[in-house]
Amino acid sequence: MARSWTLGLLLLVAILGGGLATLAWGDLGVGPRDLVTAAQGGADTKVTFVLERLRGPRLLVGIGAGIAFGVAGALFQTVTRNPLGSPDVIGLGNGAGAGVALATLLAPGIVPAPVGAVLGAAVAIGLVHVSTGLGFASPARVIITGIGVAAMALALTQYVVAVSLRDASSQLAGYLVGTLNSRSLGQAALIAVALAVLIPLTALLAHDLRMMDLGDQLADALGGNAVRTRTAAILLSVLLAAAAVSVAGPIAFVALAAPHIARRMSGTPGPHLPLSALVGALIMVLADFTVQHVAPVEDLPVGVITAGVGGLYLGYLLVTDWKKADA
Amino acid sequence: MSAPLTEPIGSADPSSLRLAGATVAYAERPVLEGFDLEVSRGMFTAVIGPNGCGKSTMLKALARTLRPRAGAALLDGRPLAQWRSKAIARRIALLPQDPVVPEGITVKALVARGRHPYHSPWRQWLSGDDEVVAEALRATGVEQIADRPVAGLSGGQRQRVWIAMILAQDTEYVLLDEPTSFLDIAHQIEVLHLCQDMRDQGRTVVAVLHDLNQAARYADHLVVMDAGRIVAEGSPSEVLHAELVAEVFDLQAEIAEDPQSGTPMVIPVRRAGDQVIRS
Repeated sequence: MARSWTLGLLLLVAILGGGLATLAWGDLGVGPRDLVTAAQGGADTKVTFVLERLRGPRLLVGIGAGIAFGVAGALFQTVTRNPLGSPDVIGLGNGAGAGVALATLLAPGIVPAPVGAVLGAAVAIGLVHVSTGLGFASPARVIITGIGVAAMALALTQYVVAVSLRDASSQLAGYLVGTLNSRSLGQAALIAVALAVLIPLTALLAHDLRMMDLGDQLADALGGNAVRTRTAAILLSVLLAAAAVSVAGPIAFVALAAPHIARRMSGTPGPHLPLSALVGALIMVLADFTVQHVAPVEDLPVGVITAGVGGLYLGYLLVTDWKKADA
Repeated sequence: MSAPLTEPIGSADPSSLRLAGATVAYAERPVLEGFDLEVSRGMFTAVIGPNGCGKSTMLKALARTLRPRAGAALLDGRPLAQWRSKAIARRIALLPQDPVVPEGITVKALVARGRHPYHSPWRQWLSGDDEVVAEALRATGVEQIADRPVAGLSGGQRQRVWIAMILAQDTEYVLLDEPTSFLDIAHQIEVLHLCQDMRDQGRTVVAVLHDLNQAARYADHLVVMDAGRIVAEGSPSEVLHAELVAEVFDLQAEIAEDPQSGTPMVIPVRRAGDQVIRS
């Protein structure tokens, strides 16, 4: 317990440090002193421009989306009792991508891209819910049908891209890998509102969620309702991930890796919700710092970094875990 | 046998747990149809019957983990469906046949899970919880291993830990689904003794058992099931007869008296071709 608190505090410090560094680095850097002046309302136009248009929004969107992805992954892994579970696995990211593809390429200017993302994600998850025959009651069926739905959504996206002209596809590219380039304060507000609503609900659910690792029968016998808890958790997970995807695109591996990294750091057995949130935010801040300030990968969508680094780190974790299990 | 009957505190009505005309089905296949059973309060009841006769299904229906299609499971005369699930979990505990051990959990942490029905999102731990958990660890003899991970324990130790969790739940009714399966003989007897201890504390214990002799020796009351029906019910000496064993289990047997306890003992009759080897 004490260890979790210390770790949480350290992660907060790291997020804050990473955030400040992201703002301060380079030619357009806004240092801590500029921030204080800006908070007092006395900043010059350059500083204001960087804070409100360039680096501020992407930092906030990154932190918010990271928290959402981290919690989404932890919820999903808990109720499916599958360490490789994440909303991406059941087609959320690909559904969102297909939604954006349809919205931006077939109906440009009519349906905004974030709305397309949320609608696409909702359709994909709705399909999964219907086609398992049991809703979200059976974790194995959810994952298997999810893989099928994800594949269909990807095929749809590729079809839309293939039949459309390529001019509108730069915005689309962001939604296919996830990006924090040119975010707005409006998007930061959107993810903040989503978190303000969804995180308290998640905290309430956490009480019954703790019992899910005992299996459905015991969770029920100890005063829970396993099927209802699982459905609520998957819904919250999907909503959190959809909110993050709508502001930042389907950034790969954060939802999958953050709970694992948090679990490894804390030494607690199951997914740890608050730590997963903080690790998610930290991954996003560090990845965004990298694409803003490290020359070889400058201006790449942030999803490329999280996929590359997160994938490697997750692979490392799994291999060392398996080695330990075999020893 | 006089069983201690404790009245629930502050209530004049005696508590009761029963199935009334319950039809319970998996998918489309009904396992129990119009099933009636009143759990004998303050006793250790053993439910016996051949594989697939509906013993476990009956137990799950009593514990609300399976809901009857028709009829009802009634606690104090009120259908379980009308109770809040936490309120049921403070009255009825169920140990499933093959419970999942959470990854990396210690003995003490697992036993503490038994306190869940008393908690809420706002009250995650109560002042008396530590004592209840300590008492459950002591009563099952697992206090020495309280800080060890459950995954590393032997089958016998693990089963005692699960029973400690059920004890920490502190319920009037304790339902156990095949608690002795997969244990060696000494640990089977240990679990049966724990069942008797729980009865002596005033709890009502219902266990699905496979071994007829153990059921007759350790339980106060037998419920014999076959093909989704109760075929006999009563004390072991009233119920366990050669005809019943032949009819229900399709086994030719003699009934003898257990030299230790005087309870009935089922001894299979030799087949015509069997060789008797004497050393």
